[in-house]
Amino acid sequence: MEKLNILSQFTSRFPSTEIDGLSSMANSARVFLSGNDFPTTRVERFKYTRLTKLSNAQFDGSAVTSISDFRKHQICPDALAIFVVNGHVYLPEIKVPNGLIIEDISSAKSLPSSSMKDVFAAMNVLHAQSGVSVHVAKNTVIDSVIEIVHVCTGSYAGFTRNQIFIGENAQAKVVMTYVSEQTKACFSHVHTSIEVGKRAHFNMEKVQMESSDLFSFSDEEVWQGADSVFQINTLTLDGNLVRNDLHIQVQGEHAETHLNGMYMLNGQQHVANYTTVDHQVANCESNELYKGIMDDKSIAVFNGKVFVRQDAQKTNAFQSNANVLISDDAGVNSKPELEIYADDVKCSHGSTTGQLDDEALFYLRARGISERGATQLLLTAFMSDVLDKITVPSVKEKVFEVINKRFNWELTL
Amino acid sequence: MAGYTENELAKDLENQEYKFGFVTDIEADTVPIGLNEGIIRLISTKKNEPDWLLEYRLKAFAIWKEMTEPEWAHVHYQKPDFQAIAYYSAPKQTKKYESWDDVDPEMKETMKKLGISMEEQQRLTGVAVDFVMDSVSVATSFKEKLGELGVIFCSFSDAVQNHPDLVKKYMGSVVPMTDNFYAALNAAVFTDGSFCYIPKGVRCPMELSTYFRINAGGTGQFERTLVVADEGSYVSYLEGCTAPQRDENQLHAAVVELIAMDHAEIKYSTVQNWYPGDKEGKGGIFNFVTKRGMCESHAKISWTQVETGSAVTWKYPSCILKGDYSIGEFYSVAVTNNYQQADTGTKMIHLGKHTKSTIISKGISAGKSQNSYRGLVQINKAAHHARNFSQCDSLLMTDECGAHTFPYIECKNPTAKIEHEATTSKIGEDQLFYCMQRGISEEKAISLIVNGYCKEVLNQLPMEFAVEAQKLLAISLEGSVG
Repeated sequence: MEKLNILSQFTSRFPSTEIDGLSSMANSARVFLSGNDFPTTRVERFKYTRLTKLSNAQFDGSAVTSISDFRKHQICPDALAIFVVNGHVYLPEIKVPNGLIIEDISSAKSLPSSSMKDVFAAMNVLHAQSGVSVHVAKNTVIDSVIEIVHVCTGSYAGFTRNQIFIGENAQAKVVMTYVSEQTKACFSHVHTSIEVGKRAHFNMEKVQMESSDLFSFSDEEVWQGADSVFQINTLTLDGNLVRNDLHIQVQGEHAETHLNGMYMLNGQQHVANYTTVDHQVANCESNELYKGIMDDKSIAVFNGKVFVRQDAQKTNAFQSNANVLISDDAGVNSKPELEIYADDVKCSHGSTTGQLDDEALFYLRARGISERGATQLLLTAFMSDVLDKITVPSVKEKVFEVINKRFNWELTL
Repeated sequence: MAGYTENELAKDLENQEYKFGFVTDIEADTVPIGLNEGIIRLISTKKNEPDWLLEYRLKAFAIWKEMTEPEWAHVHYQKPDFQAIAYYSAPKQTKKYESWDDVDPEMKETMKKLGISMEEQQRLTGVAVDFVMDSVSVATSFKEKLGELGVIFCSFSDAVQNHPDLVKKYMGSVVPMTDNFYAALNAAVFTDGSFCYIPKGVRCPMELSTYFRINAGGTGQFERTLVVADEGSYVSYLEGCTAPQRDENQLHAAVVELIAMDHAEIKYSTVQNWYPGDKEGKGGIFNFVTKRGMCESHAKISWTQVETGSAVTWKYPSCILKGDYSIGEFYSVAVTNNYQQADTGTKMIHLGKHTKSTIISKGISAGKSQNSYRGLVQINKAAHHARNFSQCDSLLMTDECGAHTFPYIECKNPTAKIEHEATTSKIGEDQLFYCMQRGISEEKAISLIVNGYCKEVLNQLPMEFAVEAQKLLAISLEGSVG
């Protein structure tokens, strides 16, 4: 009974959603919530993520409303930028190219129904306040980067829901920026539904650099059509408790899926990356590469699942997770899973955990490089294959800037 | 493939049905079905047990009543009705055999069919066998020779009578009764098993072996094995399992505890061939086993298992690497066919410094079976310079089966090096083509490739076990190629 109270206590602070497109899902969300408790570590999906800090946290809802200029958080100067500040959408007057519609999600006619992965996903359906809808018409190639900047301030707590639709044969790039300012304890849950049409190409850079008192949950649900290419780079650079849930449904043949991630943690940070690639049809390929460096008392969790259904013959799926621990108190929990019901497949995964090679360090130091310098060089080299996947140059610059500042490094591109 | 010719393979393939599916017609002393305190007291009285053991059982029973059956494994089955099982079934003659000639000829015949006829074993292989049929150990050989070295190898009940101090000290020290649902059940109702103690500095001269067999209908087998290797000793222990063909599902919930003290080494090999059920998935053994070893400093425990039987397998032989420089190894081949389900793997808990573990797991799924590897590698905070290597490969033979990998890797120490890799694929058409082009038939080519695939694990088995395992592989997979 007590556990149910935690859940209802937690949800009671959020107002009901006013987004019409969500009403069709509300019932199943309510059913899900009534049948589940606030997650504890006994729940497999939260085995390594203790949420007591979240359930005990006080969000008084006081939001700093007068942010003089949240444009400074924009990473890409030339991007078509939209801002979501404490659950309010700000659409600056920008000239949008033909075939692209950017609007507040409350004006979107229909929303794809999402799966109830956990109580937070269900709460999002019932309590999402706003979000952005991006619609790219078929055969349209958007040259400019679209940037959605999520800003949290004060002690905001709330849910946001975005929708991205990439039509047939269209191409687009989106940068999702997560930042915060003047925060006390904050909680933010962002759901993004992404539909990638036939032969479409979609690339997403997710840059997380919220402050260390933020509970930042985000979940992306992706549907891929035939011959489509989808890539997401999840770059976690800061945050208190960060949880990323990626669920990809590959529904068309010859689709390609690329998931990359890097996390650099220090302090008491906890970052959990959960990914599921659900291969439903034949002849598809997926690649997954997650790399992380953990300092101080930080803890990283990686749970990647490749699911190959019986009809998904000739699937090639690869998954790799590598971790370096650079302090005595850091930890990592890695669980790469394969669940395979088709026989003519090539699937593999690998996971490694270790520290920097003493011999490599010695090699560099023998050439007059300081220990600090040598360590930085090797760690950058370790990360480089993920960093190379970043397709937007200004994002890459930002990543280096943030790392240098947080870890007191002097790295250059 | 030593000593295993093509003709033998052909012969084996003809007998592809479960060849150990016979019932031995021996009168059995069985307690009424059901589980309550009275039954536990009855078992305890029948076995003339000391009071502390009865208390231990009752305590475990009280704990078990509070527990619920685990459901996290990737298997689906009709849960057994624990009140419909007879928890004790013993061959009626309880007198001890002075010599081999006194043994009931019927039972000798059983052993012969199992391929472990004692005469043959004694003469040819020098293996000492402890034979457990329906929970009671009936014959132990080579006792004298082992006795000279101070090695104790006897049934668990004998150990309770003759070496109560050792049993009391070590029983439940690695797998406590609170460990899990089946371990608690076993602690409450275990009927017999094997006990083995190797004194300090002794290298056991022969391979010790137990054969488990479920014979009577409606019974469960709950045996307990306890192997204690004292400082600097070495023992290689073999375990084999079979059961007759029955339509119902029978339960096997065993507990195996290994204790390797400083500088000791235990090698534990299992060939598990419980009845897997018929082609429609009817009947078969539920194999829910808890196996765990404790390694003190510089000790080594090596688990090798070939799993071809059981309708449902739930088994994770584990090592607790408590002492510095201790080593844990796990080599496994798990084959599932028809409707079999296996969820098996290992846990390597690194506690001491410079501890090492190796995991090699090979899964083969055929028919409509589901085969899962589930493993845990845990490096704790004080385990400096720990090292782990895991490799989990799965081979899929048909498009209706499944192969799954659920590895958990938890690291709390920055000096640890952990590697894990897993692959899933089917037999390559190019490999098959290569063999067939050289005049090897498809069936034989597959057998050849599968044997090569499992070689890393089979090489770890003692010779005569390896041959048996290869035969089992061929039998289990016959006709399954899609």
